[in-house]
Order: sequence, then structure tokens, then C-alpha cells
Amino acid sequence: MTENSSSPANALITARGLGKHYGTFQALSGIDLDILKSEVTCLIGPSGSGKSTLLRCLNFLEAYDEGEVRIDGQLVGWQDGKASPRKPVSATKLREQRRQVGMVFQQFNLWPHMTAAQNVAEALVQVKGLSKAEARDKAILALARVNLRDKADNHPSALSGGQQQRVAIARAIAMEPRVVLFDEPTSALDPELVGEVLNVMRDLAADGMTMVVVTHEMGFAAHVANRVAFLDHGKLVACVPPDEIFRQDPADPRIRSFLQTYRERNVV
Amino acid sequence: MELDLFIRYGPALLSGFGITVLCWIVGSLGGMGLGFLIACLYQWSGSWGRACLQAYIEAVRGTPFMIQLFILYYGGPSFGLLLSPVQAGIFGFIIYGSPYFAEIFRAGFQAVPTGQFEAARCCGMTEWTIVRRIVLPQMLVSITAPLTNFMIILTKETAILSVVTVPELLFETQTMAAETFTYIEPFLALSLFYWAMVEFTSWLGRRVERHVTRHQNRQTP
Repeated sequence: MTENSSSPANALITARGLGKHYGTFQALSGIDLDILKSEVTCLIGPSGSGKSTLLRCLNFLEAYDEGEVRIDGQLVGWQDGKASPRKPVSATKLREQRRQVGMVFQQFNLWPHMTAAQNVAEALVQVKGLSKAEARDKAILALARVNLRDKADNHPSALSGGQQQRVAIARAIAMEPRVVLFDEPTSALDPELVGEVLNVMRDLAADGMTMVVVTHEMGFAAHVANRVAFLDHGKLVACVPPDEIFRQDPADPRIRSFLQTYRERNVV
Repeated sequence: MELDLFIRYGPALLSGFGITVLCWIVGSLGGMGLGFLIACLYQWSGSWGRACLQAYIEAVRGTPFMIQLFILYYGGPSFGLLLSPVQAGIFGFIIYGSPYFAEIFRAGFQAVPTGQFEAARCCGMTEWTIVRRIVLPQMLVSITAPLTNFMIILTKETAILSVVTVPELLFETQTMAAETFTYIEPFLALSLFYWAMVEFTSWLGRRVERHVTRHQNRQTP
């Protein structure tokens, strides 16, 4: 816990003193982060800095072992209380918590035996209990939002990487989550396919979707994010509006040297 | 060839074939079910649970089927388990096959990438839904061939049931041979029966494989 425990009223997710270690390796420590409603928060930093781990702690895909993550005040993954060691919440409770959080993965993770529409509709039927017809209608709408209506009946193997990732985004938003987590959504894509995915994400942001995005796309972070969080060696160095990160002389030397590698390649 | 032999012993052979098929189908489907259950338990249990399941697998795999049958059928009554020969045969088959099936399914679970589970968990699916809808259809792609293979092995293992007097195919054929002093014809006929079962199984396996891989490499114009 830190002195800064109060969180803004419009915070959807709050992390306080968040820590995670694997054996003796401390992957994250002392993270205090607020994800505000209808904002895009980008997580950037060198590889191995803990960006993805932090993202995966937010929906308990990784069980954090210090501090807390709260969504709307509700502790995620662990039972609230003073018990030590903490006990995980019931499987039912965890599923309920995860339903509020959509996730898009670097490797898409589409289910290969289902068509695009089936991928999107599956959880609507199995989790939300919609009829097959209702779920299909909703799936088509979600696919239309990512401009893939005409690919609804294709299997993932017949889609390009960019199209697959857009189906994955449709799958996440069809569940009407309160926030969508993106774990390096464009890192596995050929360069010419990156744009179509980023455009879809930009549209979502414009529609007011709360998003947390781990990315190496500095252009996206600079122009779309409301706030950019910079991580280094498992610690949160800064979480500020993009201008403060991407100006010519960022305050922190770690941010400066990180951005230097991009500047050298003329990316920013 | 003495064809009248087959007219005389035909009904007995066919009934033996029926018993063989019964033991094989019920026993191996039961073994497959038990094996699947073991693999699922293995997937979701801690180190103690896994050690117990592993011990069961090793114990059953480490003993010959014939000995297992002897214990079940002849030893059973001493701990209150009275089984008819056919019951003992089916029950024994389920137990004998289960660890092999369990290992095939366990490999199948491992062949499905973690990301597939994670994507489903993020949607809020229950573990059982994930197995049924996401994992099983994908693992069948890689395990249909070994499953078919083991089913084929099991067709021929049914012959061992004759040692506990199950009136199956080999048992009836031996009776026929002993009573008529003919050997070539009965055992040739016997081979044909097994061959038919094996061919049927591999045909079925190919059908299933075509079905479960239908989504692969399908390009739409």
C-alpha cells in the first residue's frame, strides 16, 4: 500500500501495491494504477518489463500475489478480507468477474474449428444463454463493427492475421464487457496488416470503450491513448498523458533511452 | 473344405461373434469413457491427485490382461464380487483399456495450446464447457489416429476373454475344433471375423478423422 490509496471517482479498475513474482524473480512490484472509464490506457516499456503480466493480473489470468486489483471496488480473484494467505474466490465468482473484462491476445487465440461467426457467438450461447439465432445476429453485428461481416462464415484458417485479430476483437466486444484488455494485439501481424487492426481499435476508443492496451505501436499510444503508463523492471515509472512521454525530452532517463531506440528508427 | 461343419457350428460361431462384439463395444467405449474421466481429473487435480491417478495407470498397465481377468473372475467372489463370465469380460475390458485411453486423452489435452483455454476462460466459460466445446473438438484432430489404433488392438484382445469361459468367438471356435478335429477351417473363419472388425474400426476412424479435420485448410473463394 502506498500513500496514494484514494482513487478517482471515474476509475473502473484500480490496482494498489500490485506485485507478482515467479520463484525469486519479481515480475511486478508496487504498481498503483487507475484505469478510468471510457479512456484508453496504453502500457509501454522494454520487453520483459512486466507489461503483459500487469495486463494479465487485471483479469486474474495471472494470480497476483501482492496488493490488489479492484474492478468497481470489487477485489478480483481473491476473497476480500484479512485472511492470510488469501483464498481465491469461487470458480463461479471468478467467471462472473471475468465476464466484465474482454481480452484480445497477441496470437488471436481464435478457436480453429469454428467459423468467425461461431467464434463470436459461442460464449453468447454458452455463457449468456442466448438462443443460437440471437447469438448469430449479435455476432454478425459485432463482426460488422470490425468490418468483417462478409467473412462471418469463414474459418480462421481462411482469414489473414489482421482479419483473425479483428474477429478476436469482435468476440471480446460481443460479450459487452466493461473494459477490453489488448495484449500486444498487432505484434504477431505482418506490417501491412497492422493498420486495419489499429483502425478498428481507434473506432472502439472513439465509441467510448474503456481499453487497456499493451503495445509497441508508439504512434497509437501517442495519438489514441488518453494516458500512457511506462513500465521498467516490473515498476511503474510514469502514468501520464501521452504528450508528457512523447515530448522531446522526457523527464525520466529510462523513458528517454526507451524512446531513443524508436527515434533512431524514425518511428516516432 | 467341409462346409457342412459350418452349417452345424454356424449358429455357435455367430453367437460367439455376437458376444465378442458386445464385449468389445461396451468394454472399449466404457474404457474410453473411464480413460477420458481420468485424463480430465488429471488435468484439474493437484500433485496428490495426479500421483493417485498415475499409480492407477501404472498398476493397470503393468499387469497382463489375463491376470486382471483371473483376479476379477476367480478372485472376485472372495471379496464379494460375483460376476458372470460376460460381466467379468466387459468389466475387465473397461479397466484394462482405461489407462491407455487416459494417456491418449492426456496427450490430447497437451496438444491444445494454452491460449485456447485462456480465450475461453476470458469469456467466462465453465471448465466443462471449455472441454466440451473448445478442447475436445480440437484434440480429436490429433488423437483420432491413436484412438483408432488402440480400438483395433482391443478387437484382438477380446480373444483373451476365453480364459474366463466367456463364450466369445475364440471359445466357440476352440469348441468346434476340439469336437470335430478340424483346425484350418475354423481358425480361418475366426480370422475373417477379426479382420472384419478391424476393417470396420479403421473405416470408422477414417470417417471420424475426416469429420474432425473438416475445418482445416479450407479456403473459400
